[in-house]
This record gives sequence, C-alpha cells and structure tokens, in this order.
Amino acid sequence: MKQAYTPRVQRRYVGAYRPRVDGIEKASGKAKYAGDLMVKCRVPGILYAKVLRSPFPHARIRSLDVSQAAQLRGVADVLTFEDPDVARLKSTNAGWTDGVDTLSYDRMMWRRFRDRRVLGSHARWVGDEVGAVVAAESEDIAEEALRLIKVDWEVLPFVLDPVDAMALGAPILHPELGDTNVLPKDTVGGADVFVNKGDAARGVADADIVLNATTTYHNATQNSLDNWNCLIEWTGDHITVWSNSYEAHQTRMHISQMLDVPLNNVRVVSPYVGGQFGRGDTGDQPFFLFTALLAKRTGRPVWFRHSRRESFHDGRQHLRYEGTIGAKRDGTITLLSFKSIGNVGAYADHSMFAIKFAPVEATEVAFAHIPNVRFEAHGVYTNKMPACMMRGVGNSQLNLILGRLVDGLAEALDIDPLDLACKNFGHPWEDLPNKSLVAVLRTGAARIAWNEKRHPPGEGPAVDGFKRHGVGFSFHPGWHAEWQELRRGEVHVTMTVNADCSVTLDAPTVETGTGSNTCNVLGCAEALSFLGISSDDIHWVSTMDTDVSPQDCVQTDSSVSFLQSEVMAAASREVKTKLLERIAPLLDATPPELDIDGGFVCRRDTPGCRRNVKELLYEASLDPITVAVSRRPLGTLTGIPFIATFAEVEVNTDTGQVLVLRLVVVNDCGTVMYASGAEAQQIGGQCIALGESLTEEIIYDERTGYPLNFNWIDYQIPTMADMPEIDPVLLEVWRGDGEYGACGLGEGTVTCTPRAVLNAIYNAIGVRIDRIPVKPEMVLRALGKTI
Amino acid sequence: MAPSVTTQETVARSPGLQLLINGQTYQIDSGSSMTPSTTLASLLREHLALTGVKIPCDQGACGACTVIMDGKAVLSCMVLAVEAHGHQILTIEGLPSDDCVVTAFAEQSEPGYGTALQCGFCTPGFVMTARALLDRVPSPTVSEIKEALSGNICRCGCYPGIAQAVRHASELTAKESA
Repeated sequence: MKQAYTPRVQRRYVGAYRPRVDGIEKASGKAKYAGDLMVKCRVPGILYAKVLRSPFPHARIRSLDVSQAAQLRGVADVLTFEDPDVARLKSTNAGWTDGVDTLSYDRMMWRRFRDRRVLGSHARWVGDEVGAVVAAESEDIAEEALRLIKVDWEVLPFVLDPVDAMALGAPILHPELGDTNVLPKDTVGGADVFVNKGDAARGVADADIVLNATTTYHNATQNSLDNWNCLIEWTGDHITVWSNSYEAHQTRMHISQMLDVPLNNVRVVSPYVGGQFGRGDTGDQPFFLFTALLAKRTGRPVWFRHSRRESFHDGRQHLRYEGTIGAKRDGTITLLSFKSIGNVGAYADHSMFAIKFAPVEATEVAFAHIPNVRFEAHGVYTNKMPACMMRGVGNSQLNLILGRLVDGLAEALDIDPLDLACKNFGHPWEDLPNKSLVAVLRTGAARIAWNEKRHPPGEGPAVDGFKRHGVGFSFHPGWHAEWQELRRGEVHVTMTVNADCSVTLDAPTVETGTGSNTCNVLGCAEALSFLGISSDDIHWVSTMDTDVSPQDCVQTDSSVSFLQSEVMAAASREVKTKLLERIAPLLDATPPELDIDGGFVCRRDTPGCRRNVKELLYEASLDPITVAVSRRPLGTLTGIPFIATFAEVEVNTDTGQVLVLRLVVVNDCGTVMYASGAEAQQIGGQCIALGESLTEEIIYDERTGYPLNFNWIDYQIPTMADMPEIDPVLLEVWRGDGEYGACGLGEGTVTCTPRAVLNAIYNAIGVRIDRIPVKPEMVLRALGKTI
Repeated sequence: MAPSVTTQETVARSPGLQLLINGQTYQIDSGSSMTPSTTLASLLREHLALTGVKIPCDQGACGACTVIMDGKAVLSCMVLAVEAHGHQILTIEGLPSDDCVVTAFAEQSEPGYGTALQCGFCTPGFVMTARALLDRVPSPTVSEIKEALSGNICRCGCYPGIAQAVRHASELTAKESA
C-alpha cells in the first residue's frame, strides 16, 4: 500500500506532490545538456581532444616521439608534458573542495596531497592521463594520432592491495611526497587516530560483552549517464567553458588559478547535467586545463569528453573496517571502536573525506551518548583507479560496520536491535531516546512488518524447500542540516518581479537531477504567494553562467532543496516592501498603511478595500523590481534527523542467488520541500545502493593490474527488471532552524541499504556475509557448499 | 564539415544515403565527413542536431540512444548509418508534442512512486522504448513493461515512476481509442 506523507504544516506549494518543472522539457528530449550544445554541426571549427592514457598500472615515460602524430592529416596540435605551458603548471589535487564552498589553490581542502601533475610523465593506474594530448578534426583522427605517438615506457612494479602497499619494499606511488604509500596526517581529516573520545580500554573494561566484526566495502563508481565533457574557447584574454561541471564557480576558480587568468576573464556555462552522484565531485579536473591550453594554441574551440570507458574515472573508496562494540547486559553501549584501511587508488583526491571526515560528523551527531569512541584510519595509495566522492561518501562504508555491530550485539544480548539502537544513539542536544530515530525505526518496522517477518537467524520457514526469507535493517544519522552547511558562505538568490507580476528567479545552481529547480520554484511561489501568483508564473533560470549569475549553490547533495528557499523567504519580504513603496502613491497612502495578500493590495485600516496588485504594479511603472539577497546558512545547532532502510530478501540456498523482495526507505526530512522529488531521491538512491549490494564492482586482473569491466555490460547496473518494490517513507519529526528547518536527504538514501540487505541475508540463512557485493558463490560458500 | 542536407521528398538515386527521419527525407552526400563506421546515433546527433538522442555508452548497454526504426525500437548506437539507408526513423523530436508517453513521463507524481525522471538524460530513450511497446502492446502487463524497458538504464533510479508513467500512458491511449 502506497501512502502519501502527512505534512506537519500544510503549505500552498512547499511539500507538494506535483510534476517537476522541467518535466516536459526533459520528457520531450528538448532539454539541452552541455554535450548537446557542442555537436559538430553547431560549432564551426570545432576540434576534438584526446589524451594519452597509460596502458600500465605503474610506469614512467622516459621519452615521447610525437612527430608522426603531429604530421597526421587532420591533427591540429599535440601538447606534451615537456611543453613549457604544461611543465610550469603547479602540482595539484583533483579535489580542491567537496563542492560546498569555492576554494582557491592555497586553501584547497587537501593541500597536503598535491599529488597530481597535469599531463605528467609518471603513470599510476591503467587509464591515467599522461604524456600528451592531441587536438584533431575528429575523435577518430585524434585517437589515431595517439596510436602514432611513440612512447618509451619504463614499466615499474605495481601494487593493488592496500595492505601490500603498506609493507616495506612496496613500490612507492608518490616518492615526491614521502617514502610510504600511507597518506600522512592532513589538515582536514587529522591524524591516524582522528577520534578518541573517553578511553577505549575503559569501554572494554566496563562492558559485559564485547563483539568484533570486519566488513569490506568495495569500489563502485557513480555512472552518471552524461559523460564528462567540456568545450573551451580562448579568445583574446577570455576563456569560455561550456561544460557539464556542476561546480561552475569552482571550475572558474580552478582554471583562473592554474592558468593565471583573472576570474572575470573566465566564463563557465553549465546547463542541465545528466546526473552526478558525486562524480569526481569537483570542478578541478586536469582536463579543463589541457583543453584550455589547446584552445589557446590552436585559436579554435576544443572539445574534450570522456568515453564510457574513460568515465570510469573515480569512485567510492574500497574500505575495510574492523569494529568493536562493548555493552552492558542491559544494552548500554560502552564502546565503539573502529580501525579502517582505505584503498584510495592512485591519487588522494577526496578519499580522506570519506575515510576520516564523514566518521567525525557521524560521531558528533549520533554517538554523543556513547562514552568511549575511537576511530583509527589509514588511507593507502595503490595502482588502481582513484577514489573520490560518491553519493553517501564515507557514510556508506561506515554504516556497513555500524549496522553489523548493532545487529550482532542485539542478537548476543537477546534484545530487539531497534530497541538497542534507540537506547544508545542520538545527538548531544537531545536526551535519549532521540525522537527522530524512534520515529524512523518504528515507522520502518511497521511498514516492513518487522515483528511478523523477523525470526531467529536461519530459522524461518523454507519456501519451495530451498528458499529462505529474512528481514534486516540499518540506520544512520543524516547530514546536510543547515548548520552543517556553514562552509558554503553566502547563498544567493535574485528575484525579479516583472511589470506583469511574472517572476524571474535566479537561484544559481546547476540542476543535476535532484529536483532543486522544482524546490526553488515551489519555495519562490510560497514566499511570493502574497502576490496571488502560482508556480507557473515563475521562470527559473536553468543555465548557470558565471558571467551573469552570482555564485552557485552547488548540488553536492540535495540540501540546495531548502538552502535557497530559506533565502527566498527573506527576499520576498524585501519584494513586498519595494512593491508597497511603488504602489502607495497611487493609493494616496504610505507603505505602512498597506498590505498585500492573495494578489490584492488592501488598506490595513479598511480590509474590505482591495485593489488588484498586478494592475497597480503595471500602472505604477514598467520597471521590474529586483531583489538580490545573499545570506549565510543559519548556524543554530539543531542536531540532525535519522534515516533507515528495512529490507526483505529471499535467498536461494541452491543457487546462492539473493533476491531483494522489498525495501522500505525512511527519511526524517524536517520539512519535505517537494514530496515527489524527495520520494524520487529515496527510490532512486536504491539503484545505486542495491547495485553496490549485489552486482556493482570494478574487477582488476591481479596479474597485470588491468581493469576488466570498465563498461556497462560487465559492470552491472540494476535495471527495472532487477529492482524490488520500494516503499519511500517521508517523515517530519526533527526540525532545523529557519522558515522550513529542512535538510538534504538525497545522499543518505544509499547509506543504509547494503547493511540492511546483509542483515536480512543473515536473518534468512543464519550465516554472516560481511562484504559486498554479495555474489551467489559467496552465499554458497557461507552455507558450506562446494561450488 | 557538416553534410549537406536536402529535404526534397523525392531524391534521385545517388551514391549517398537516403533516410526518412521524422517524416522528412534526408539525403546525406557521400562527400560528407561520415565514414562507413559512423553510427546512426552519431549521424542523428552530430550531423543532424537531433540531440534528444543521447550516447552515454556507445555499446548498446544503456538504451539512451533508442529510436524507432520501421516501427521497432532499436539502439541507434548499434546501427550503422549505412544500415539505416532507405529506412524510416522516428526520434523523440518526431513525436507529436502531445504524445501521451511524453506527457505521462513529464507528469508522473503519483505518491509512492516518485517522478519518472530526474536528471532526464536517459528519458528520451525510455520514452521511445515505451512508445514502441505501446504501439505493439497497447495495454501491457507489469511484467511486459519491465521486460520491454529492462534494456534501458536510469541511474537516477526512477524505475517505479517510469513504470507508472507507462501504465498511465497506456490508460490514456485506451481512453483515446475508446
């Protein structure tokens, strides 16, 4: 049974179930993405860039001979690592910012890990961009030119496993940074032991029971359909970039700082983006730089894009957690202790965000009542595809162990795991039990029929003699409450009320699919509802253009859904003030004597006297009224809401196949900004989460270091036929500060599902599997069957 | 160089390609920058600017390039342009603006199923696959919908919303033909 959510406060627009504002544009194929602006027949003189990629997991280029390539007909330019334009570029990192703020080179998040050379000569994974880039009249010619480059490779020993990479004598990936592959302490994540609350030894001593577990999260990748691309023109002093970067201002900052061009001479234009999911979460990709240099040298527009294979470019950190939980007999947790080893791949990028930063946030808001908490982590370079940002960064891996420990402890203590969770987890600004967590777990349990379907592990009835059913759950603190978004600096909104009372809304953000455009239109309609207009009267500026718009509010999550609406609430008050100032003389009144409501201007002292605001505005002046408001997010410490997934599975004990029958995805949102969009995020997140649980994994040939499945035939993304019934549940229990007190929910929807599925498998077969993706052979092995 | 494109209804035999796309005859000269390996998807996008056709994978794995050729949904990245010679092609640009599949995808907001699209990049492919399905099977069952659309990837994961949209489109078609 599908149930619509019940809003805590009934509003006219915010919180509605309704179509997206871009529905028709996208469903009719008319929506333009960056790549659509760059098709050959639309860009006269376009050149195509292709970059040389390492065929070895670890190698150095001793020398290059590009003479044959340069002479190939149709080749316009060949740029190599020896060219002064390239050689002078500073060492960098492809993760200056997590997208929340716009950061310069000197303030980048990971300034200890400036481990990337743009087009360098030292290749560290199969596919690394090194040595040379070609611009040609077609992609085919550019590829042929790459084949004609004679490369003298010095093939180096490589290492794929992080534990092997930590051993003495392992090949060192970044000798320029030190004599180890283990990433040192950094300015954001901190030291190896980065959380040490209370005393772990005391946590053990105080416990009646101590439990250990180990979980392994593999290396999925984001798989946005809109492969990364850019078209760059360099005319005179001005660089123009059309791109599907969703961090337009960060892309501008990156190009400006790396190529030493003033910010106002770099223009970045981003229309709709075809999905991001954390894809390389940054505008700091080196390809922007070499594409720009080619545009400068050739004087022509140059296009660079990733093929599908090249879009396997970064992904989630392969992360192994060892966890310990200690508790009293009554279920009071005395200790949570974690040690992790993360495979960051060839470059650090944002990996330490996942390995250290995300657990710090979770500790603050969910483990506040647990006296002893310890986290130790080691990020390790290996010769694999770099890890970076991916939806649910860090929290997905943490949840895999956290949910395991809670489920295991509950079983050992013979307590319902839901009760155990409610007894222990919450933020420091509220006494236990945390209301949000209780609501999320109780609602989820009711929807999945927890009490009816749950049974002792492996002891449920067999279906058809060999199929076992089970249910499981996992929970996690959400993130992206407004107070956690302070780093964004100011959030900008410009509202223009035109002479006919229609509204042009510039709430600068690149729409990547999360529905923030609809949220913004609903927020604007709500804020300006005194004008008697509807959401159809509002035009949302859909293309982000750094020449025109103020700084974009980056969709690193779906918190854009409320951040700009909060600012609109403030902006609408200014709109009203300006309107009244303009209209008052027509009515022989002063502004304080008037009010506007429901599209009518009335005198406060004689409410019956109403005039149509639209007619009055048109009569007063044809000048549009423009209000631009910039405001930092509110910093009130309000805690956070919780999230949970409940899963029901069927395990075929003959074949080892796991069939997920049903998922219940529960989010406490504070305030639902756009119900259809929020449900779409909850449902949609399961495509990634279930893929990660059961099928998605990058596989390497251990002997050669070569990735074997950089394509969508061998790397399997769930399709409609693979997905179970999904029940999205929206709650409004917790509340943040401000007009709406909402939070971003999109990222977290992937976080709890893998663990919920693993716990359900345990409930079904009575044997633990603690690594994902769960393949049939793993199930059969766990059941002690020979394969 | 873009190929010269003529729109005469009747074109005499020529060494180039002749395709009927969205009801219009296109003559693609042999002197264009096309090669024998140019795919139909590339021809439609790069040469004719029919950018509703998307090419995320270029290897027949995702369905975003789906067009209808002679009434059947095909992956245009898996069809060579020369193979399309003499055939009728329908791209999303050729659907009527009030096509019920387009409308149903745009409007899906029935509680519990989310929307039928988010980033929208896969949507034209899904719409064309669904259109071909409904042309063939006006009232498909849930399993027929799942089977027909299982060659399309929506990474935003809007599958339940998409299935609802196809159901709604089917109902609309039934009402219109009743």
